Amino acid sequence: MITHPAPAAVRTAAPQPSHAPARRRRPRLTLHRTLSRAIIVVIVVAQVYPLAWLFLTSLRTEQDFAAGNPFALPSALTLDNFSRAFATGNLGLNILNSFIVTMGANVLIVVLGMMAAYAIQVLGFRLSKLVRGVFLMGIIVPVQIALVPLFIDYSKVGLLDTYQSMIVPLAGFALPMSVYLFSSFFEYIPRETYEAASLDGAGPYRIFGLITLPLSLNTVVTVVLVNSIFIWNDFIFANTFVLTEGLKTIPLGLQNYIGAMGKTDWTATFAAVCVTVTPLLLVFLVLNKAMIQGLEAGASKG
Amino acid sequence: MKRMLKTAAVAAVAAIALAGCGSSPSSSPTNVSPTGQIVPRQISWLLSRPADGSVITIMKKLADDYAKDHPGFSLNLITTPDRPSYIQKYETLAAADKLPELFDTDATPFAQQLAKQGKMMDAGKLLKDLGLYDSFRPAALDYQRFDDGSLYMVPMQFELEFFWYNKSLFQKAGVSVPASLDDLPAACTALRKAGITPIALDGQDQWPLERYVSYQPFRAAGPDYVTSLKKAQAKFSDAPGQKAVTWLDALGKAKCFSDGFSSQGYSDAQNAFTSGQAAMYNIGTWELSSLATDKLNPSVRNDIDFFTLPTTAGSVTKANEFVSPSGIGMAVNSKTYDPLVADFLKFALPKYAAQYAATGALAPTTNVQTTIPANATPLYKKALDKATDLGTKQIMPWDTQLDPTSNTRLQQELTLLVQGNTSPADFTSTMDSTIAQNAPKFFK
Amino acid sequence: MLPTRSRLSVLVFLLPPLVVYGAAVLFPILQSLVLSFFSWNGIGDMEFVGLANYVHMLTHDDVFWRSFLNSLGYLAICLVLQLGGALLVASLLLSLRRGRELVKTLYLLPAVISTVAIAFLFERIYSLDPVGLLNQVLSWLGLGALERPWLSDVNTVLAAVSAPEGWRFTGLYMLIIYAALLAVPRELEEAAILDGASRWQLFTKIRFPYIRPVWITTTIMATTYGLRGFDIPYLMTNGGPGQSSELVTTYMYKTAFTSTDYGYASTISVFIVAECLIAVGLIVMLLRRKGEA
Repeated sequence: MITHPAPAAVRTAAPQPSHAPARRRRPRLTLHRTLSRAIIVVIVVAQVYPLAWLFLTSLRTEQDFAAGNPFALPSALTLDNFSRAFATGNLGLNILNSFIVTMGANVLIVVLGMMAAYAIQVLGFRLSKLVRGVFLMGIIVPVQIALVPLFIDYSKVGLLDTYQSMIVPLAGFALPMSVYLFSSFFEYIPRETYEAASLDGAGPYRIFGLITLPLSLNTVVTVVLVNSIFIWNDFIFANTFVLTEGLKTIPLGLQNYIGAMGKTDWTATFAAVCVTVTPLLLVFLVLNKAMIQGLEAGASKG
Repeated sequence: MKRMLKTAAVAAVAAIALAGCGSSPSSSPTNVSPTGQIVPRQISWLLSRPADGSVITIMKKLADDYAKDHPGFSLNLITTPDRPSYIQKYETLAAADKLPELFDTDATPFAQQLAKQGKMMDAGKLLKDLGLYDSFRPAALDYQRFDDGSLYMVPMQFELEFFWYNKSLFQKAGVSVPASLDDLPAACTALRKAGITPIALDGQDQWPLERYVSYQPFRAAGPDYVTSLKKAQAKFSDAPGQKAVTWLDALGKAKCFSDGFSSQGYSDAQNAFTSGQAAMYNIGTWELSSLATDKLNPSVRNDIDFFTLPTTAGSVTKANEFVSPSGIGMAVNSKTYDPLVADFLKFALPKYAAQYAATGALAPTTNVQTTIPANATPLYKKALDKATDLGTKQIMPWDTQLDPTSNTRLQQELTLLVQGNTSPADFTSTMDSTIAQNAPKFFK
Repeated sequence: MLPTRSRLSVLVFLLPPLVVYGAAVLFPILQSLVLSFFSWNGIGDMEFVGLANYVHMLTHDDVFWRSFLNSLGYLAICLVLQLGGALLVASLLLSLRRGRELVKTLYLLPAVISTVAIAFLFERIYSLDPVGLLNQVLSWLGLGALERPWLSDVNTVLAAVSAPEGWRFTGLYMLIIYAALLAVPRELEEAAILDGASRWQLFTKIRFPYIRPVWITTTIMATTYGLRGFDIPYLMTNGGPGQSSELVTTYMYKTAFTSTDYGYASTISVFIVAECLIAVGLIVMLLRRKGEA
């Protein structure tokens, strides 16, 4: 992939734009602003609506869902779907498994991604461009095709049906993006900081621990959140590598709501989706500020 | 660098190739009663059935009973009800030679290759050895057989497929139960005129529409047509195939299926019928609990009836011969077959049928009586009774017959044909060339 | 480069990630690359067929070419929605004084929902019977003639399956572009406004050239993700009706797991990788050259 020198202004903290318009233009600008605001509201509604729909559906009765317009407000609210969802599935265990897998994969993604980016971007070595290229290649490979070879390899080394069998490929395929985000961010850290530390006698390990690591916290949050979204919802690796009920993650657990010949208890499914999306949503809402900052900082250069 | 790449490439092939053919079954597929000590351990069953369905519930209970006498035994049930996801999992496991002790499969060409490689136990021998073979419904066993008559899967259920219909909607449109398949397009036209959706169809899952392509050839030429067609020995351009193609084209032109049927799911289709919007619904006895009990919407409860697949003029098959599938079958892995697996099956299979019939479903055997649930309508018994009066032939669903590539293409082209996006002539030539190209790989 | 680095320290940092990445990603990919020269159904013997798979794919396979064209259409719609939408919202956001953080957060929400839920939601939106949101809105607007089963109509299905994918990740790209726009030096903009530049000129002459590097990265990201798009079309229509919404990726998946033709499926995935590389090359060439001109 390509690198560009970061625009100088990005390196400094992004200034809050004042956007003080010239006085003469005010009337036109007000109109413009009202219009933009209206557009923003429409777009935001379109973005939020599905989540609202999801929660509303989980509160509908089955008959209401089947018969009426699925977009009208529910005629009666019920918590039945939730009790059915908990009775059919093993939601608690699924959430725990998803949590373990997401955590495990995230630790690998962050630690390994940071190490690789540090070696490539900060330490530097003769073939660093090539290694970077090899990592970035991974961004464009479709994961589906690696399934059969992966499965065969894993079964050889006895990795099947374990947490690791989900964690390792999930982390592996997410590593390129993580390396990319971290090395983009490391470019921000001014050379001089490192040089000063070096002059003070700090070696590569101390510099990593004392400078790079603490500075990249926002990027860590970004990497973790972006990957959590994908890993939390991953179906394809889990479906391939998990065999026992006790290891099923959420997307596999949701399969339990599918009945004979494809008949599905949709309202219970959506109740379960609501339950399972909630932890991710909460984490997202709590950490989104850090994530947005990390994204803006990490990716706002070429 | 170059040498490294070369070494890696060699290692890569070796790793896969080893998995592909490095296995020899430790037990012969025909040695159904192995000698030796029964050592309890955990055995697994990879299956594609509803997680809280009766098959799983019953087998779980039987396994628990067995474990009481055999401490250390347990049955690990790995279910993936969504069929495409299941197939992906099953094929990946097969490729890595990691299939568990028991696994589900239809009598597909892929399964036949597994059987040919000696990876599955001979189910006919197994059932005979257990003294169960003769208690099975012949139709249930036949459904599981490969073309050569060999039997490698044990049926766990038995179903009959009917055309359910709404009497009052028929009356409203002045339509009577079609006496011949060829009457169906006209009935659809009349229903459409009365503002009624003629047939509710789950187009999303593909198999329901694919049933329709099998009806005319089965009536015109019997079950042999598809067994020749799949090997490219018969063609869609032959008379029975053409009959199917023109009939489906007519069904499409008569707007038999709801607009947008191809994106309609299972639940939507069933709701369209049970809410009184659609007049007909082609589904099997696995839906008896929704269609013939008091769970059915009261507004249509007294209007619902069913008819079996109509015949045609000059039909070579009889009215009591139609689709009667015994569902996805259970295969027994020959590689892991040992005294324990044999003993567990010996314990569980004879007890299974009675418990299964007690849930109100048709058992694959004839030696048990299905319990009619307390909330059933009279239709429930009427439907079950059809099972006692079946002919000797049955329609094999084509999705288990054709090679997978041709099958996928057929499903796609069928939708286009019925939607009017392709002409009967184009459909015929596309399908004939697809089958000619892909069949040889699977039916050598 | 750090002056105090040592060969050992580079190895300490580089080796663990490289090993995991090599074992989990590179090796299996290499294996499937090798498989593309074989004919293998997963359970039988592997048979070396040389370039036969490639020849078949490029010269004989009408479904492949159909799905390739579909992929390009899918990509175009995703790019317009993701990049166009992102740019539009990011620009609008700049003119907003309060509530920027809230809008940003809400805008990212769809990314949290699992694809299964999204696919089902959009099936409902496009549905005709029972009538879905889109058809409902059309009839309210008096555009009843446009009502149709969007996912069953061969003319609309591709757009219909592309839209959810485009919509889902717009928020992510919007954030990136928004950050870049924030970094445009205020003095440049104010000078241009004093010179009487219109809003459009301000955008094309000042802002866009400034964010071009970010734009290239974002375009590359969106393009490669678009070319690998899989789950939403797979879940919503499974490529249907006919091959109207079949993408190269869904076709590859079916070839592998429905047709059990792993060799040929590998060939198709080699094509996907090549296609992504070419697309990245083209983007860099086009956008950079314009920037230099």
